[in-house]
Amino acid sequence: MIRAGGREGGSRPAAGRAGPSRAAMKKPDGKVVLLGDMNVGKTSLLHRYMERRFQETVSTVGGAFYLKQWGPYNISIWDTAGREQFHGLGSMYCRGAAAVILTYDVNSLQSLTELEERFLALTDSASADCIFAIVGNKSVASCSSKVRKQVRAEDKMCFETSAKTGYKVDYLFETVFEMVVPIIVRQKAEGPPQTVDITDYKPAKRTKSGCCA
Amino acid sequence: MSVKAFKLVSAVEREMLMGDKNYINIECIECCGKNLYIGTNDCFIYHFLLDEKISTAGKITFAATKQLHKYLGLKKPVSELKAASALTRLLVLCDNTITLVNMMNLEPVPTGARIKGAVTFALNENPVSGDPFCVEVCIISVKRRTIQMFMVFEDRVQIVKEVFTPEQPCAVAVDGYYLCLALTTQYIILNYNTGASQDLFPYCSDEKRPIVKRIGRQEFLLAGPGGLGMFATVDGISQRAPVHWSENVIGAALCFPYVVALDDEFITVHSMLDQQQKQTLPFKEGHILQDFEGKVIVATNKGVYILVPLPLEKQIQDLLASHRVEEALVLAKGARRNIPKEKFQVMYKRILQQAGFIQFAQLQFLEAKELFRSGQLDVRELISLYPFLLPTSSSFIRSHPPLHEYADLNQLTQGDQEKMTKCKRFLMSYLNEVRSTEVANGYKEDIDTALLKLYAEANHESLLDLLVSENFCLLTDSAAWLEKHKKYFALGLLYHYNGQDAAALQLWVKIVDGDIQDSTRSDLYEYIVDFLTFCPDQDLVWKYSEWVLEKNEQVGIQIFTKRPLEEQEKTNFKPDDIVSCLNKYPKARVKYLEHLVLERKIEKEKYHTHLAVLYLEAILQLKSVTTDNCTETTELLFKLRSLLQKSDLYRIHFILDKIQGTDLHMESAILYGKLEEHEKALHILVHKLKDFHAAEEYCMWNSENRDVQYRRRLFHMLLSVYLNPGTSDCALVMAAVDLLNNHAAEFDAALVLEVVPDSWSVQLLSPFLAGAVRQSIHTKRMTQTALGLAQAENLIYRHEKVKQKGTPILLSDKKVCQVCQNPFCEPVFVRYPNGGVVHTHCAANRHLNSNTTHHSSSSSNKT
Repeated sequence: MIRAGGREGGSRPAAGRAGPSRAAMKKPDGKVVLLGDMNVGKTSLLHRYMERRFQETVSTVGGAFYLKQWGPYNISIWDTAGREQFHGLGSMYCRGAAAVILTYDVNSLQSLTELEERFLALTDSASADCIFAIVGNKSVASCSSKVRKQVRAEDKMCFETSAKTGYKVDYLFETVFEMVVPIIVRQKAEGPPQTVDITDYKPAKRTKSGCCA
Repeated sequence: MSVKAFKLVSAVEREMLMGDKNYINIECIECCGKNLYIGTNDCFIYHFLLDEKISTAGKITFAATKQLHKYLGLKKPVSELKAASALTRLLVLCDNTITLVNMMNLEPVPTGARIKGAVTFALNENPVSGDPFCVEVCIISVKRRTIQMFMVFEDRVQIVKEVFTPEQPCAVAVDGYYLCLALTTQYIILNYNTGASQDLFPYCSDEKRPIVKRIGRQEFLLAGPGGLGMFATVDGISQRAPVHWSENVIGAALCFPYVVALDDEFITVHSMLDQQQKQTLPFKEGHILQDFEGKVIVATNKGVYILVPLPLEKQIQDLLASHRVEEALVLAKGARRNIPKEKFQVMYKRILQQAGFIQFAQLQFLEAKELFRSGQLDVRELISLYPFLLPTSSSFIRSHPPLHEYADLNQLTQGDQEKMTKCKRFLMSYLNEVRSTEVANGYKEDIDTALLKLYAEANHESLLDLLVSENFCLLTDSAAWLEKHKKYFALGLLYHYNGQDAAALQLWVKIVDGDIQDSTRSDLYEYIVDFLTFCPDQDLVWKYSEWVLEKNEQVGIQIFTKRPLEEQEKTNFKPDDIVSCLNKYPKARVKYLEHLVLERKIEKEKYHTHLAVLYLEAILQLKSVTTDNCTETTELLFKLRSLLQKSDLYRIHFILDKIQGTDLHMESAILYGKLEEHEKALHILVHKLKDFHAAEEYCMWNSENRDVQYRRRLFHMLLSVYLNPGTSDCALVMAAVDLLNNHAAEFDAALVLEVVPDSWSVQLLSPFLAGAVRQSIHTKRMTQTALGLAQAENLIYRHEKVKQKGTPILLSDKKVCQVCQNPFCEPVFVRYPNGGVVHTHCAANRHLNSNTTHHSSSSSNKT
């Protein structure tokens, strides 16, 4: 999904619509990771934002990611699997992340407590100046749930969204991206990235080549 | 969802290996170039040469010919084989010892160099030493939690480093200084140079066999929880989403863009580009899956098979054939680096076009458009889907092989009219968009003709816009189509655009006359008039002038009157011809003459007289019909008067003759005025019309641009008419008084006083008298002022003169004339006011030759 930036929310024509597939094409400049218990709607949130629609999804296996153009930067957004089975992978996904979106289900207090008990620890591997956003998904704008009171609503990095209706989904991601950009700029300024740019790669001498035998 | 990405081809049959000895199992394989090595559980190494054969049908088969087999004499299975082709060495792991044997004859190196105590080993494919005749080998040692790095040369080995791990390692892969290790409970990255380690993720190696596979520079593929194939870089970051294998995956290999995995029953193929499973091949009892320089080999205990990748193009075509556009495009893009650039671009364009047609057939027009655009589709491919849209003359032939499976739109929509309409609407907008872009280059005719046809068929308003702007519609094709759809007005526009104005007019006239039906324009008549007005073809204008005037004289005359002025002057639209042609159309004739006389201000007596006569006739005609003054008469009268007053060109006597005997007194007064017979005129105004105001006005306008004397004469004349002793009408006397009082300035007071009857009181004439006195004083003072100014001026000149006389001029032999530069021989000379002194004859010559008279005019002569 290529977007010229800015905050307008219209979806682009089809050629730009490529799911996780396009990920391999461009090198991301920053990483945003969605964490949270299973079935809180991480995939749906991402799907709603990228594809502009809601669709029942199956339980995510392992993880998936999208590449989003935000101004001049490519931001990769990782959707992780909430299932206990894949819990061990979380810390690898979070490594070097510029932002982590901790997601819970506003109808499940358990999913909120899980965030602290299970998921917060995973973010230790994230970038030192990583941004955290707390998102209560499955929000019904009109009603107020018990869980909502647990989260300090005045905190500006706390969101309530609904992937189903699209309520505040764009707002969530765009707010996060706006805050991620300075981190990317800083990281770029701090010298060469840890990862090696393969496009610069000059083939090394291969030991296993037949010609010199 | 499946793609046929690979084909399983047998390479080595079991008979070739073991014949009927069933206890022999394949333990490991290695493939290097054409050399295939197989290690068995009974301590043999087999060497085969693999020959790839491609049948005429494109089918690939492999023929393995056995070269050698070698018994290592240890009664232990050969657990791993790795070739180092640069050294022509084969590294053989058997009984925890790595020995070096010659790749060709399988003989151990004479030095007996070996690495002892290895559980398993890996070659560093991204070596750090830079020595081409050295292979870096990493082993998991039999010692607890120990990894050792070796340099292996042709006939010796050298330990480089030994590192310890927090847990027992059970699988390893190397890239540069980075070791990717599967430990008992987790995967880690370990930099053996710095000792830095990076946890990747937990994994229980006791429960499931870990997989550590280097897939490229600094990137590894690992077996993760839940049958995930996880990607990890040496920084401990995952840059690709995981692929989802089955839980009991045994081995994995990479063949871009696919990750191939092996389990008990299947070989599965996932794309690294979208992480989707693309293909499943049933394969029982497999236990080895490895890739060797792009060749994926899979083996059971008894036989060796090769997974032959199908050409990417074929795969892409298969995907397109099953309408999986997105996947096809992803694969095509992913293939970019595997295909030469030029070839890729051609291929990719074609794929985009095909994908576009697939989206089009599903009525996904937005997507289709984008694909057509990026695929630089020859628009005619799309147009040709629509029956009859391409011009018959078009040389277009659809590309071969075809980009889609449809014969035409009918087949595509299966006759669904609604779909058909949508498709047509799409083509309209698409063609409209591309027609002005470079996409249209070379086939503008085809595009515009198709667009015209679509517009005409759909009764679309843009049809007219298309035809009146620059377009490339082919005449014959378009004309037939427009006729078929009864778009006669548009057809006329088409003719006009193609320079066939006669045909266009013929059609339009028919529409107006109701011979053919086309309601496009309700004001078609006005349109035709306008068209003729700007039509450069005179014959055509003449031809249709009668028709136009017949319909409406007032509007129709515009074809002559509204023509661009410069054109009127240049061409043969001679006013005389037009006027004579207009004889039948009196209203038009008046309009035209008005145009000539009033607008173009043509100064020809003929037109002026003619127009005046026409006005006059019309007025008389109207007057004979009705007695009361209708607005038309008033209007005409106004026009006539205005003409008679303003124009000096008409034949006054002629008009006067015509006017005699009618009640058009005002007009005859004007005419008398023109003849300078003011007395007559004023007489009419005062006595016949009794319109004193008009009489005053008469004096005013008749004396316009004349001197004061003339005006005075007129006013005095009027006064004397008022005071004519023959009449003693009270009204006239009043008028006279008013005249004097209101226009005191126009009279010579002295003369007036002579004429005024003695009986009039001073009171009566006081405004006049006051005005006259004031005027007189004013005149006196003005004169005095003028006199004063003149005297002052005179004084200035006298001053000048004195000044000139004041300075003497000395003339000597040394002075030379400024003109001829000769000395003065006589005392006579000419001096210019600027001081220049010249001979008299020089001055005289100069007088003749030049016009610089302002010098000499004031020259003085002195002796």
